Amino acid sequence: MSSGDARAPEEMISSGAPGQTRKKRKVFPYAAMAPAAILVLGLMVVPIGATIWHSFTNWDGVNSQFIGIKNFQLIFHNPIIYQVLWNSVIFLISVPLILAASLVAAVLVYEKVLGWKVFRFLFFIPMVLSPVIIGVLFSTFFLPGGAVDQLLRVFGLGNYSWLGNPWSARFVVILALVWASFGFGMVVILSAMSTVDPALYDAANIDGASWWRRLRSITIPMISGSLQFLSVINVIYTFTSLFAFVFVITSGGPGFSTTTVDYYTYITTFENGQFGYGAALALLLFLIVLTLTIAQVKLFPNREVQQGS
Amino acid sequence: MITRAKLTRATVFAVLCLIGVTTVYPLVFMAFNSMRTTQEFEFNPFGLPTHLTTSSYSALFSTVPFFSSILHSLIVVVPAVVLATFASSLAAFVFTKVPVKMGNVLFWTMLMIMFMPGIVVLLPLYVEVARSGLANNFAPAILIYTAINIPYGTYLLRSNFRSIPDSVVEAARVDGASWLKVYWRVIMPMGKPGIITVGILTFLNIWNDLFISLVLLHAPNTEMVTPTLAELSGKYTSNVPVLMAGLLLGALPTLLLYAVSARVFIRGMLSGAVR
Repeated sequence: MSSGDARAPEEMISSGAPGQTRKKRKVFPYAAMAPAAILVLGLMVVPIGATIWHSFTNWDGVNSQFIGIKNFQLIFHNPIIYQVLWNSVIFLISVPLILAASLVAAVLVYEKVLGWKVFRFLFFIPMVLSPVIIGVLFSTFFLPGGAVDQLLRVFGLGNYSWLGNPWSARFVVILALVWASFGFGMVVILSAMSTVDPALYDAANIDGASWWRRLRSITIPMISGSLQFLSVINVIYTFTSLFAFVFVITSGGPGFSTTTVDYYTYITTFENGQFGYGAALALLLFLIVLTLTIAQVKLFPNREVQQGS
Repeated sequence: MITRAKLTRATVFAVLCLIGVTTVYPLVFMAFNSMRTTQEFEFNPFGLPTHLTTSSYSALFSTVPFFSSILHSLIVVVPAVVLATFASSLAAFVFTKVPVKMGNVLFWTMLMIMFMPGIVVLLPLYVEVARSGLANNFAPAILIYTAINIPYGTYLLRSNFRSIPDSVVEAARVDGASWLKVYWRVIMPMGKPGIITVGILTFLNIWNDLFISLVLLHAPNTEMVTPTLAELSGKYTSNVPVLMAGLLLGALPTLLLYAVSARVFIRGMLSGAVR
């Protein structure tokens, strides 16, 4: 398997079938790539180009005029933008929380106690639910006088306006995000753990290593690649995937304290009709995400090779 | 030593149960409270419902067109999943087994835009769709959902197809099989778990998405499930039982899909298909 992976593409062609299928070989790959290529170029690459172009215009959806970098000047003079970017930084708190929860779930499932497959099945459930459903559910829990308040009443607390306060509103969004995301993290970590040689654990057991010691000295070093991958993925998600949570839990409020870049872009564009300005905002977000994507590719170039073998 | 090991296992089991409760209880909460009256919810949101009632469900169906929103979601999701999975698997096949120069260009393009925020493309697409008189038409939504899910699907299937030995493909080629035949007879059967996993992931992605459906299909006669639920939550913050009825029914299709496909799906995910 690994020898096949390491093989250079050209080598594979020449060692493949002899010359009689040369013509076919040229037609097939392009025909096979065509559906994906046409859709990706037509509905993604070209629109990205359009967004870049329109970010330099005062587009209102119908008319557009070139106005240079005025949109970007407006963006960087808009105090709300700094608030919104700061919010995304705050939401990054979710990343270590997701990692910790995923690791705990994976390590415990890996112990293979009674019913571990059932637990693995159950821990996946949040993953198949829509952020809309999770968001509405969490906002219901945290309504004034809602489920959480009723629980807190037992301790003499209660009737706290969870979604009316910037920090507690952010807390609810982060909690929903962690709950929604740890199942995916668990799978990735479990998948990495399954490649660890069980002999390592046996040896550690014979040496009398404690459970904690095994986790620290064997498991975590062996899955560090997956943990890095998960951090990067979740950092990206914090910037691109909070729209639905914010939309249903807080509508960006109170004030702009839970507004994310994509939510703010949505409001400016589709509610206020400032398409040119919205395009500039979208482009800013794209550049942030692109930087993170490239960082991921550069940081972990060997991931797939490990995966393939 | 034995007792200590047993104690550890018991602790592990207890913590697993605790985490399990956090993922299952919300579903139970939805189910129980959808069958309560509003008054009962005020006093007893946690326990078993005392008087079962289906009034929330009838209230739900009379306030929002719930069943048609499920139908609209299916109209969009099913063709998009089929198209995206098919296009991704063909492209991934070329990228792994029939290397051509253009393949690399296309793959790197996909890699760069894989995590792209949807709003970047949706902004001009929305205007273009509206200008062509196709607003609230299913066809553009299907194609846009298909396109947006191709890069990740291709990426996953590419790593998946890599584990199919090249020698199998070469043997088929030497026997005179066309590339199409290799795709159909070798890649499809051998890559089946990966392809199914990608299909399910794509289904979940599109069914659960709010943003694109909210922007493209906002008329009552085209609205999909997630915008309908978001709208419901805006209208009925105080009527939790109706809200819970909507959430439960909205979650049911993905929960059922997960339940019937869990074996293949979990195995596909664990085999590294997620990366």
